Amino acid sequence: MTTSTRIKGFILIGLLPALLLYSFFVIVPIFWSAYYGFFDWKGLGSAKFIGLTNYVEVFNDPIFWTGFKNNMLIVAASVFGQVPIAMILALLLTRASLFQRMIRASIFMPMVLSSVVVGIIWGYIYHPQIGVLNFVLDATGLEMIKKVWLSDPSVSMYAIMVPIIWNYIGPYMIIFIAALQNTSPEINDAASLDGVGPVRKLFQVTLPMIWDTIKVVIVLCISGSLKAFDLIYVMTGGGPAHTTEVLASYMYNSTFNVYRFGYGSAISTAIIILSLILILGSQYLMKRDYR
Amino acid sequence: MEQILTKNKNIPKLQDKKLKWSQGIINIGLTLYALVTLYPLFWLFTSALKTNEEFDSRPFGLPEVWQWENLKRAWDVSAMGTSLINSTIVTIISLVLTLLLGALAAYVLARFQFRFKAFIMGLFLLGMLIPIHSTLVPLFIMMNKVNLLDTYWALILPYTAFELPLAIFVTAAFLIAIPKEIEEAALIDGTGYWGIFFRMMLPLSLPALSTVAILGFLRFWNDFAFALIFISKPALKTVPLSLSVFATGYATDYKLTMAAMTIAVVPTIIVFLMFQEQIMKGMTAGAVKG
Repeated sequence: MTTSTRIKGFILIGLLPALLLYSFFVIVPIFWSAYYGFFDWKGLGSAKFIGLTNYVEVFNDPIFWTGFKNNMLIVAASVFGQVPIAMILALLLTRASLFQRMIRASIFMPMVLSSVVVGIIWGYIYHPQIGVLNFVLDATGLEMIKKVWLSDPSVSMYAIMVPIIWNYIGPYMIIFIAALQNTSPEINDAASLDGVGPVRKLFQVTLPMIWDTIKVVIVLCISGSLKAFDLIYVMTGGGPAHTTEVLASYMYNSTFNVYRFGYGSAISTAIIILSLILILGSQYLMKRDYR
Repeated sequence: MEQILTKNKNIPKLQDKKLKWSQGIINIGLTLYALVTLYPLFWLFTSALKTNEEFDSRPFGLPEVWQWENLKRAWDVSAMGTSLINSTIVTIISLVLTLLLGALAAYVLARFQFRFKAFIMGLFLLGMLIPIHSTLVPLFIMMNKVNLLDTYWALILPYTAFELPLAIFVTAAFLIAIPKEIEEAALIDGTGYWGIFFRMMLPLSLPALSTVAILGFLRFWNDFAFALIFISKPALKTVPLSLSVFATGYATDYKLTMAAMTIAVVPTIIVFLMFQEQIMKGMTAGAVKG
């Protein structure tokens, strides 16, 4: 056996298992879901080819767009809630003292918990009878704003956003801390010596220096928000009356609750297309330089 | 000039005092924020050890009598033992597969030049952009056809497949930094590529692989969506799936729910406390790459 065939053999055997497994479970399903989207199928029995009907229905389905709107609300909550909070925490937590490391670890902690546990805990916090939140409102004389938080269509989506923000602040904070630690302390010192006040220093020195990181984090917020499913499934299942539905939960409900596999596949395909547009679009916009 | 100098001498002292005060206030604020973040967890642990009456009447206090037997009852009632075994089996096999296949592919992609390499890298990158949930319906249909549903493999294979891109990119980035001369010396000594991979590359990339392993553990152990859709047999349920039963509302024995959840989160909290720096860095790197 010559060396080059030996190398070729090694490359093939080394790469093939990973590539096959990955293609079969990640790439191939994308095409299957596009294909099943053309059929009317209950999951059992025969599938009937119905052309573009499912896709047209998805496009005109108000609940699908409610789900999309809620995904966008989560994006907004991440960008305007998580990013500023994570930034403030990062600015205060750049040192490596034991105290600061303990605080960082505590803030990161929710990330390692199962989202089912997080969802159930917050479900109890919001619970109309046994909930801690209403208990606190009673105790502080604020009974009038007591709500059945997760069953009241006017507040349920906002109630859900609180745990979502709470849960995912940790990684953004760590990204910001890493970026802040990489900025040169000389520039900071120079600005202080020049008598630049802390607020002006923040906006004119520190933030511009880590602007690229902020852009990366915003792209992450968008792709992360499209993944929202577990917490919503556990806390409301998309209800009441689909008001807290996100794209993924609506896909789940259409497929496995009402057994419309073709329609669920069409929604899956729509999710893939929308996500790729949003993620690639935001990356493109963020890479352009406005300065 | 003289004036400026003396001024400068005075300012630091004043600033020091001011700094100390403001640092103190900031530390109190940070501590409060951390406590608020940890509070739901604390509430979970204390509620798990209360009676139902106490859970209703004193949601904030510590239990009057610590009801340790709640944990035991929750263990029995929710078949937590079976779920823990299932989660352990699925997590371990997925981890072994992810590490082995991922490291091998990473070594090939980091060290060899061949046709379609860029295409294959792009393919793995694509997997990090696709929301996992959008593949659930087609995967369900595909696995149903080949009778894979309701087996351990229904979880192990997709877990491994979805974790491979991260495993490959983290490990390959690490391997590229290792000098090529080490390998060339081994080749001259007559060691084959398999020997180099198993005896040199695997041990050398241990730091990268341990990051991959920790992230994989958390992802596999906590996964809910795949288990929800691919597993329906009670005997095969993983921990998050058996817990989700409590979310459906008819579970009114709150203390038992809390106790079951306590049992479920303890392993991840222990892993987090042991590897916190690595987990925080790794999850962040994973997020940036994903």
